[in-house]
Amino acid sequence: MSLEPRASGYLSAPLYLACVVLVTGAGLATAMALRPAFAHRVLELVGLEAMPQATPNSFYATRVGPLFAQHCTSCHGETRQKAELRLDSYAFALRGGRHGAVIVPGKPAASELMTRITLPAGDDRAMPPEGKTPLSPDDVTVIRLWIAAGASPTTPPSAIKGAPRLVAEVKFPELDPAATRRLRAPLAGDVERLSARYPGLVVYEARNSADLELDAASRGAAFTDADLKAFLPLRSHILRIDLSGTAITDASAETLAQMTALKTLRLANTKTGDETIAALARLKSLRSLTVTGTRATKPALAPLSKAGVAIHGDDNAD
Amino acid sequence: MPHSPFLDQCKLTADTRRHFLGWGMGGLGAFFLNSAMAQPNGSKNAATAAALPIQHDPSAPLSPLPPPFTPKVRRVIYLHMGGSPSQLELFDHKPELTKFNGRDCPDMFLKGKRFAFITGVPKLLGTMFPFHRAGESGSWISDRLPHLEKRIDDLCIIKSMRTDQFNHAPAQLLVQTGDPRLGHASLGSWITYGLGSENQNLPGFIVMISSSSTTANAGKPLWGSGFLPSVYQGVQCRTAGEPVLYLDNPKGVSRAERRQVLDAVDEINRETYAQFGNPETVARVAQYEMAYRMQLEASDAMDITREPAPVLARYGAEPGKTSFANNCLVARRLAERGVRFIQLYHWGWDSHGTPVDQGLNVGLVDCCHATDQPTAALLADLKERGLLEDTLIVWGGEFGRTPMQENRGGQEMKYIGRDHHPEAFSIWLAGGGIKSGISHGATDDLGYDVVRDPVEVRDLHATMLYLLGFDYRTLSYPYQGLDQKLTGVKPARVISEILA
Repeated sequence: MSLEPRASGYLSAPLYLACVVLVTGAGLATAMALRPAFAHRVLELVGLEAMPQATPNSFYATRVGPLFAQHCTSCHGETRQKAELRLDSYAFALRGGRHGAVIVPGKPAASELMTRITLPAGDDRAMPPEGKTPLSPDDVTVIRLWIAAGASPTTPPSAIKGAPRLVAEVKFPELDPAATRRLRAPLAGDVERLSARYPGLVVYEARNSADLELDAASRGAAFTDADLKAFLPLRSHILRIDLSGTAITDASAETLAQMTALKTLRLANTKTGDETIAALARLKSLRSLTVTGTRATKPALAPLSKAGVAIHGDDNAD
Repeated sequence: MPHSPFLDQCKLTADTRRHFLGWGMGGLGAFFLNSAMAQPNGSKNAATAAALPIQHDPSAPLSPLPPPFTPKVRRVIYLHMGGSPSQLELFDHKPELTKFNGRDCPDMFLKGKRFAFITGVPKLLGTMFPFHRAGESGSWISDRLPHLEKRIDDLCIIKSMRTDQFNHAPAQLLVQTGDPRLGHASLGSWITYGLGSENQNLPGFIVMISSSSTTANAGKPLWGSGFLPSVYQGVQCRTAGEPVLYLDNPKGVSRAERRQVLDAVDEINRETYAQFGNPETVARVAQYEMAYRMQLEASDAMDITREPAPVLARYGAEPGKTSFANNCLVARRLAERGVRFIQLYHWGWDSHGTPVDQGLNVGLVDCCHATDQPTAALLADLKERGLLEDTLIVWGGEFGRTPMQENRGGQEMKYIGRDHHPEAFSIWLAGGGIKSGISHGATDDLGYDVVRDPVEVRDLHATMLYLLGFDYRTLSYPYQGLDQKLTGVKPARVISEILA
């Protein structure tokens, strides 16, 4: 039995394989030539190109990246890549999009990104598009200065002169009632007991805090040394005490000295004097003390003042 | 209470078709909210930030409530300069404007603009008074405020305020309630709603008024509670006579008799509440009770004769008169007693140049004279008593004044004045959490437009709430289908640049 002769039009197996590789390769090369972003991706995958990373304290990371994140990445980022452009990392930003690089290091005027963000509002090609918050003139300056300085991933902020100052926006913490409950658990019983006895006198400083304020001023002369003593169980949580106009005397010196967390103390118009002031020297956290209308004297206050406590109302003290 | 067919009928008619629709729509809204909240990443942004729950005991609606975050300040003293002082005569130094004094205002400033009174081509008007640098901060100030000048290192002057209202009443409402229309809750109402009152024997929100000439434009709605429960409205007090009208018992009525009357009225009110469940009834009970307690405390708090003579002299206060000086001294006494929001109005800054008391060279000088010393004394006094570190003081009008001289009806006017100018004005803040001895923002060389760091009124409000421990996006009150906020619906921002 002999083998059937093969038809002359067929390729040998190796040749066929070679053709497949060639066609695929040509396709890949064409795609890479036409789509730079794709080319970078391929080169990275095969390890021929490293993804450049911006250093954390660089001008890019502190000034430029946040602007991209605020104004650009909702369309040019991880979830959407309009025009195949991503601006959510330094490498992506330098790589560009479907139409090539958008940032030409050292040449802001030649950078498509600069052109787009400086077009007048209303121009179809202006970025961010109509309806989105435009970049402020200061924002544009920041990006221009960065590109002009070489669009580097490492240049520190100090190396780029003339950049508008950085404004840190206020951030509000999220409220977590469960966490606050845990924080307050050790003292909640005492707070409840004392609140029942002295309604409204001791309150939490904030809803997310276990720190307390004791405001006895509204009780006036009805609030005595014994009343203050009742709050001792909370001593490591009370940050502020207002005793203005109460019947507190130097007999409270020892009580106050045990309020170890105390930052602000108001003793205005009370019968306290140097004995109390001397005891307060033991409070390491004290920052502000009001002694208007008390018998406190300047020599007694001096050590506190030296320790950094702001003393109020000692102008008339002897 | 015996069964009354009349009251039953009242109760039935109180439940209207609106209530039914309201409940129905509420349910629908909750359904929608549920699905909206279920979306991932939905809870982080401002639009969906959950409203901060504010739960006051209905029988003690002013009980103190901690703010969501640790506050920088515990109370606010707002010095509203009604009529709007000229920034160009007090804080915003513009030597270029003086150079062009008497020249026609360039067309670019007039095109497409509407003024309250200016018509045609007005002339530029240079600053009327000399400016100099003062304090360690070297901030510019004119020679009209010699007392405040000594406290200038305590101030943070914002020179880039803007508003979109150019008439007094709506502009005042915008500054005080966050909206130029009537019916919104005032700053003080929001704050007493959110924080309650430290002192249960005094209102949490007290208003005092003095004047050099004209009277209040927007009137009582400036301290109204708007859509918030009425217990949070400001209480207007006087420094001459009884602090609150009809607060004292009528002649021949003893405190015990007054108590009996109140007990009877309270009982009726409580029964009415049990029948109808209207929270305003409970608020009324609370207000009667507070008035009873106030009879003792308010009279004492407002009584400046209890102050020693040097203190009276420092403020320039004269007991028995109605003056800004007396009001400033009372403000300090109220701050000491834990009043949350103290609002002072001083009218007379509307320097158009029409009558003599509205001239920049006469009326403005009078206003400066009436307010300068007491304002400085208040700052110094609070500082000495350790109160400035947790008090926020705000000073300002409702808009600015034009760099052009007013030419009402195209005529040259008898006295020198400036028109209303919403594009730029100056205010100052002082106290806790604020950088002192700085200026923020700037206007152009003629003082016409803001060129650096513009601050909208809602930004000021957001900043005030921040200092008091609130997130302006979550302090809200549901009304007419919207979670109403002090800062309104436009994007606001906390002015982080001026925070200490």
